[in-house]
Amino acid sequence: MNEVLSVLQDFAQQCNHNERLRKMNRDWSRLVELLATDTGVTYWLRSDQGQITAGVGEIGGVDLKILAAEDVLRDVFSGVMTPTEPYNAGDLLVKGHQDDLMRLDIITLLIWGE
Amino acid sequence: MAASTPDFKRVLPLRTAVSTSAGLASAAINFLACVEIAEYAGGNSAWLALLVAGVLILFAGANFSELNGMYPSSAAIRVWTRRGLNDTWSLVMSLVYATTVTFVIAADAFVLGHVFQAALPQIPGLIWIVVLLAIVTAINLRGIRIAGIVQDANGFFLLATLVIFSLIVLLHAHTPLLLPRLFHLGPNWFQAVAVGVFIYVGFEWVTPLAEEFEDSRMIPRGMFIALGLIAVGFGLFSLALTVVFPNAAVLKHSLVPQLVVGMRALGPLGFWWMVVVSLTTAMTTFNGGMATASRFVYALARERVLPAKVGRLNAFLVPQTALLILAAASLGLAIIVYLTGQYMFLINAGAAVESFMYAATAIVVWNLRRREPRTARPFRSWGVPAMSWLMAVIFTLLGIGSMLAPSGEHGFPGPLVFLTLLTVGAYLYVRHVVPKLRAARRPIKRVVPKL
Repeated sequence: MNEVLSVLQDFAQQCNHNERLRKMNRDWSRLVELLATDTGVTYWLRSDQGQITAGVGEIGGVDLKILAAEDVLRDVFSGVMTPTEPYNAGDLLVKGHQDDLMRLDIITLLIWGE
Repeated sequence: MAASTPDFKRVLPLRTAVSTSAGLASAAINFLACVEIAEYAGGNSAWLALLVAGVLILFAGANFSELNGMYPSSAAIRVWTRRGLNDTWSLVMSLVYATTVTFVIAADAFVLGHVFQAALPQIPGLIWIVVLLAIVTAINLRGIRIAGIVQDANGFFLLATLVIFSLIVLLHAHTPLLLPRLFHLGPNWFQAVAVGVFIYVGFEWVTPLAEEFEDSRMIPRGMFIALGLIAVGFGLFSLALTVVFPNAAVLKHSLVPQLVVGMRALGPLGFWWMVVVSLTTAMTTFNGGMATASRFVYALARERVLPAKVGRLNAFLVPQTALLILAAASLGLAIIVYLTGQYMFLINAGAAVESFMYAATAIVVWNLRRREPRTARPFRSWGVPAMSWLMAVIFTLLGIGSMLAPSGEHGFPGPLVFLTLLTVGAYLYVRHVVPKLRAARRPIKRVVPKL
């Protein structure tokens, strides 16, 4: 299986097994597109009623787009680095509402800590 | 990199780019900055100093537009300076730059205190400052944000008020405006231009919204239109001020010039109208400044530049500690300035920081043209590299001019001392404390996917 997809599915699983995150994301229904800028592969994360799912392939009607190289996406969603680190270096770009971006950062914070 | 696709759900229009840029630049302290400009310019030529500052700011706007197009990010200046200079200087500049938000909040609190003291003398201004800042802090702590449309509308409301009231005053002037006086340059005219930069401060704070615009060209267009509106609105207000106060020396003693212009234009209705304008302007400055700066501090904590506890969130997912630190710093500064009356310190220091930042962005644009020639640039700044260097020199000189502009009775260059200490402190912190914070980071157990 594709490594980034596997990381995203694992990330989704961790969110779904976390009581606090499930409660926090209950009213946060969003579709997030992740484009690996070096390989051109598109992934997605869907948050719906507190449940997160992940997949690969183009998808319409997204709320938030994240653009970064494959290794950055992998490291961010496996907890090796916080999203803020590549974001503040310009290695991770986003299109969408800042509140949604912050929510994603908070999710990683609650999974992997400070 | 940030290619546009038609399936993106939420996009902001050009109107929002204009109103955000104009709204963030239009702080209540701008009224007092106009007084200071008129005083330095020696009277009626204040509008010209503002116009010259505006033309220079256009070049700064072009530089911000190029950088914003390359890296449309809410981390804006942090990203650009990191790529265009280096991490250390990027952090120093980001920390110093962020303090201008505190200056502006404190300055607006000062103005608001005096406005309410003039309107309702029974209640001391200091109480208004504490109460209003506490209200905005409490609102922010609960994660409630003033609706974007209110923030949007206020920028236009303020500028429209300035244009209409100023025109009424100018059309009913007791003494005719003579052409030679409109172009008479006083002995401190350079300082008038330097402080003129302060009127536009914040126009570039629309760039952190770049991620919410589908078309990245909206930001430059919005900024340039906003700069024109600010120049017209505050240019006319400066002119009206010099008509109401023909003697520049008398002018500097007015702490509520907008109320005087309002009274002159429409009597008591104009007075109270200006009270409302001052209140809405200051409240949107408090709210926008605190929300933006607290998130910036949160991001620095997440990046291990500040202690992790600074980035702690409350039950409403608001960076509580960061917000409380900012509120306390703003309130403390506002109280000191209110009690001492040294508001010019805030204006001069703010103008200096922004001028140095505009000089730095000119260098960053030039550096990135060399370092990253292949990166897409939806907007290209003008006359790089010759204009970059010219602007870097001009804005550096204006920054020095602002720092050396006499603040207070004895002409003590407070901004020079304060900004030097702040920059040295930030540099030492970045060199000696940040590496320790980063090294102390708890190692994260990497989730290795099963392939």
